[in-house]
Amino acid sequence: MSNEKLSYFMNKSKSVKDATFDKTIKIALLSSFTINGFYETLRVKMSEHQIDGNIHVGAYNQYNQEILKNNSELYNFKPNLTFLMIDTRTILGEIFYSPYSISAEERKKNIEKKFLELKNLINIFLNKSNSKLIITNLHVPTYSPYGLYETKTEYGFHFMVSDFNKKLETEFLKNDSVYIFNFNQFVSKYGNDNIFNIKQFLFGDIKISLDYIPFLADEFLNYILASLGLTKRCIVLDLDNTLWGGVIGEDGFDGIQLGSNPQGNAYVEFQKYLLALNQRGVLLAINSKNNLEDALKVIDDHPNMILRRDNFSCLKINWNDKVSNMKEISQELNFGLDNFVFFDDDPVNREFMKSSLPQVHTVNLPKDPSQYSIILQNLKGFDTLTITKEDSERNQMYLEQQNRKELQSNVVELDDFLKQLELRVSLKSANEFTIPRISQLTMKTNQFNLTTKRYQEEDIEKLANNIDFFVGCAQVIDKFGDNGITSVYIINKQNKKEWIIDTFLLSCRVMGREIEKAILAHIISDARNNNVDKIYANYIPTQKNKPIENFLSNCGFKHEKNSWVIIPKDDFKLPDCIKLIEE
Amino acid sequence: MSKKLYVLIGRIMDVPVTELNDNSSPETIPSWDSFNSYLLLDELESEFQTEFSIDEVVETKNIADIKKHLKNHGIVLDD
Repeated sequence: MSNEKLSYFMNKSKSVKDATFDKTIKIALLSSFTINGFYETLRVKMSEHQIDGNIHVGAYNQYNQEILKNNSELYNFKPNLTFLMIDTRTILGEIFYSPYSISAEERKKNIEKKFLELKNLINIFLNKSNSKLIITNLHVPTYSPYGLYETKTEYGFHFMVSDFNKKLETEFLKNDSVYIFNFNQFVSKYGNDNIFNIKQFLFGDIKISLDYIPFLADEFLNYILASLGLTKRCIVLDLDNTLWGGVIGEDGFDGIQLGSNPQGNAYVEFQKYLLALNQRGVLLAINSKNNLEDALKVIDDHPNMILRRDNFSCLKINWNDKVSNMKEISQELNFGLDNFVFFDDDPVNREFMKSSLPQVHTVNLPKDPSQYSIILQNLKGFDTLTITKEDSERNQMYLEQQNRKELQSNVVELDDFLKQLELRVSLKSANEFTIPRISQLTMKTNQFNLTTKRYQEEDIEKLANNIDFFVGCAQVIDKFGDNGITSVYIINKQNKKEWIIDTFLLSCRVMGREIEKAILAHIISDARNNNVDKIYANYIPTQKNKPIENFLSNCGFKHEKNSWVIIPKDDFKLPDCIKLIEE
Repeated sequence: MSKKLYVLIGRIMDVPVTELNDNSSPETIPSWDSFNSYLLLDELESEFQTEFSIDEVVETKNIADIKKHLKNHGIVLDD
């Protein structure tokens, strides 16, 4: 959340240098009104997330021209994300002031016409650019010349604007390149009288008051973080005075606060919002100093407990220090520490976490539990541009993972363990159903990723339609359940005799099961059938992809100049434990 | 209070406080463009918990004018 004033960002942006971070993204800002200060704010906020902010700001109210013109600065800039901010005044023109100078029928026609104009403009943009477009919807005015009769009026002033918003949302609901930012809701949240400052409007056509530009930038930053795959994946929770009131070890099962009174209701409310996040794919874990038995009794048996054992992917309820527990959770779930959010009511624990593991986002919880659910709702960073089937089933998958681990501890030999898993790898090509997930995996897979090339959905679509490339993915199923699409490979087949592995990655969820070898075996046999002489691959080291460092040499690739090469003619064995299915 | 005013103006215009005086204006400070003047008035309003009228905004040509408006709003600037 933004606490700093706009002038802070204006000054701070002067010290933000270009090309200092690995993560880069190109952002275009277009608008129908003055957005001075937005560039600076976004640049500072992006640098705070170690993102290089390369930002193009369109000229004042020139968005039509920039979109319509070939080779405009906008298109030459080649943005990845384009934000288009439009406002009700500009779109409605004089009708904004005099909606009742015309009939209901004319108002309806007018909205249809205005909407069609915008729709055409958006489609032109989509044809000319690969950028995703985020467009603000219109703020529904709070004022009406009809006053209380407004809601008794057919196709009235407010209805017109709402209808425009509805049309916009419906039109692009299924289009993965267009996102509607609900600006109307943003105004509702902060209040029209705060967002709109009449003096600033009269002086400089400023339609979002300067004080609120940092807040809007926060909202836009979410799209940027989501687009770069910088998403929080797991909330780690303390128990006493965090998930319930009181201390279970002292107050006992019947003495803790959970439902039944206002304080107890605050914890129930908090848990309900946590559950909703869990249902959309955010994992939950516990990091608590407690006797395991006492804590589990509440989790399993307390009548007002909302979150149950199955909602948690990892339980660290012991007397170890919280930092060691956090590291273990990170290892067990196989995510980097920067994917975690930590909730703990104890300021000492929080300080310890912040100073030891600054990558973890430690939430500043107030003493008052009634604020917990509000803080959770305002917490940014869980957003993703798509919610795939894999996301909503993630919790189930991690529970199955726990079962696999239990099996693993009963089995001595890895080979035996893998055989018992009854692994099946189903190979699929890129199509409208798999492309969103393929892109998502390239965006967020860090560890088992040979080249760490990030591809937006549009990029994958292009590659899939290019005959010189093959884009494939693999779904991994075992006896405990379906892991979903968890691997992606992209082959450059431009040279018919020498293929190049452009991308090869595996989600951390299925690492260590020979899946990668099975997929490679398939690529090699495909090459052999196509009389390919050599397959080249590169390992591009990053801070995080050490797990794949020796993959190529382990599979028999030989180092040649700056690359790795394997001869498809030579024998390459499919691991015994895996059944390969081609779709 | 005067110091508070100078610090605020210095921060927004990104100039050292020592370079500011009553005659400082868009003519003498290159970064004092129209946008920064909105920003300045906006932050003055929240800092001193007051609101300037549109006439006052238009009439503000230099720091002396700002002081005059603040005084008219009952805000006392010491030193």
